[in-house]
Amino acid sequence: MSNELNPYLPRPANVTSVKNESLDTKTLRFRLINWTAPFQAGQFVQLLLPGVGEAPFCIASSQSDPKHLELTIMRRGIVTTASQYLRPGDAVGIRGPLGKPFPVSAFEGKDVLVVATGIGIAALKSLILYLVENRGKFKDVTLLYGARFPEDLVYRDEIRRWSEKIKVIITLSKATPDWAGLRGRVTDHLNEVELNPSTVAAVCGSPAVMTSIADELVNKGLKKENIYVSLERHMKCGIGKCARCLIMGGLLVCKDGPVFRASEIDIRAIGE
Amino acid sequence: MPKLTTQDILKLIDGLRAEGFEVISPLRINGVVKLAKLPPGEAPLLDYIRINNSPKDFLLPCRESLYKYRSTATLTSYGLKIRFPTAEGPCPVTIMPECTLPKSKIAFFGIHPCMVNSIRYLDKVMLSDPADPYYKGRRDGMFIAVMECEEGDDYCLCGMLDSYKVPAGYADLMMRKRDGGFLVRAASEGGKGVLALINKTQEKDGVPELVPKMKEKYTFDSTDEAEIDRRDAKEYVELCTLCAACTVTCPTCYCGDIEDEFSLMDPANVERTRLRMSCQRKCYSMIAGGTTFLKTKDARFKWRLKHKFPFSERAYQLKGCIGCGNCIAMCPARIDFRKFLGRREA
Repeated sequence: MSNELNPYLPRPANVTSVKNESLDTKTLRFRLINWTAPFQAGQFVQLLLPGVGEAPFCIASSQSDPKHLELTIMRRGIVTTASQYLRPGDAVGIRGPLGKPFPVSAFEGKDVLVVATGIGIAALKSLILYLVENRGKFKDVTLLYGARFPEDLVYRDEIRRWSEKIKVIITLSKATPDWAGLRGRVTDHLNEVELNPSTVAAVCGSPAVMTSIADELVNKGLKKENIYVSLERHMKCGIGKCARCLIMGGLLVCKDGPVFRASEIDIRAIGE
Repeated sequence: MPKLTTQDILKLIDGLRAEGFEVISPLRINGVVKLAKLPPGEAPLLDYIRINNSPKDFLLPCRESLYKYRSTATLTSYGLKIRFPTAEGPCPVTIMPECTLPKSKIAFFGIHPCMVNSIRYLDKVMLSDPADPYYKGRRDGMFIAVMECEEGDDYCLCGMLDSYKVPAGYADLMMRKRDGGFLVRAASEGGKGVLALINKTQEKDGVPELVPKMKEKYTFDSTDEAEIDRRDAKEYVELCTLCAACTVTCPTCYCGDIEDEFSLMDPANVERTRLRMSCQRKCYSMIAGGTTFLKTKDARFKWRLKHKFPFSERAYQLKGCIGCGNCIAMCPARIDFRKFLGRREA
């Protein structure tokens, strides 16, 4: 059996830079050694830290550069905690790209709304970069980004750059008194976005938040087929053989997702 | 249709061994009937109703090595220290793929038609694109000799799920008990070849289909997702001890876990292993940070049934339950999903 055909084998990569995004979140940039990952916005990879384990992460870089990958990782479990100690030059293994991407060609000529809460913005960053780079293909593009505390906000420099091309709304639910921007949850600020029945929405956040945002968007007249959610599960194999990412309706997040239309799945059951 | 004696069966098995097969057949071990490697000279147990394990144990072992690689972990006086290799450091990570493919092909001798259906289900899951190379390596060239079943025990339900029928292409030999001997017919070219080894030839005659007698009959009204969710499982899950015997003994439960394993004596040699995982455990649906999607026993009991019926029918157009009844027979609380999903016939 040749190694190219074995989908379980990771391929080598090096850390080229580490950027602190917030207290517990870092963006790692990887150089792929002698291979490329021609990915599309919304796909994910399995990151293997030698001696620690493997975990899935959505790619948070532009699909125009398949030789480098960026992953934004928040300290949560075993692999994510170990990844905080990576330094430039460290070797890791990467498997991917895996999963189905956002169907960006279907977004063309329409208004696009991207709603992200917390670290969910990492799963949507590749999509936002695609929208910014190909700004002419879309009508109004809005990023609605919610977090809890000011120090939780990530991608500060990038958001400043993006705001020149797309509309950016940032809201904090537990803002400190010196916060000058918007306060409250993202669902409180959906009124500030002009929505029409053909608007396409991409949503990522914690399960309960995704349910409430998708519900709210449907109430505001968006079609369920035009609402895309990016789901999270702990995929072990990434190719549909371990069934650890099985969700309601018998869909596999690794093979059929991680990007789903709200019409494909029961949005109320995202948290189950 | 040639009739064989036990002596002929032994000759047949020797013939299979000579062709390079590792013969796995039901055996009585410590009082229970299990599928196991057949020691040379020993006759397989062909008069049985239930086996405690299933072909899954050989096709998807409960622990298998996917590959090995070296990390830079070292054991220090204050514990295990994992340092990632750096550009300046001496040890770049090398991945040494090492596959655990068996040297000989597998021959299942004397398994019941329900177990053959479980192999068909595992094939659908594991060989769908992209194929699992480890499963495929074991599966290729497999020989199956089916022992047809005449009567089920209290927990069998293949009569309701039609899984007493052997799917086309999944049997090489079909065996049936008759007057102290065995009626054998070849169902494939490979089977004909093996019969020829003991100088028995295939004669053409029609064989009536053998439908096993069920001791208890149930009817399933509907097994779709909404129906399973709607039903009240309280009286069933109350007794559940979360031992996960239902998923361990199930011939089609394929959910797995992949972990890095290393010995503390030599922590730099890491083995990436695949283990079996049960949906009855809380960690099955836990993601980083501790969020668990299947929080209650009730949700997990229903999840297993949903995976067997609506999810499998949708993804593979095949029922995940093959009606062996192992999950009922091996359950220490005798939780009977037949009563939950259907009603008993008089």
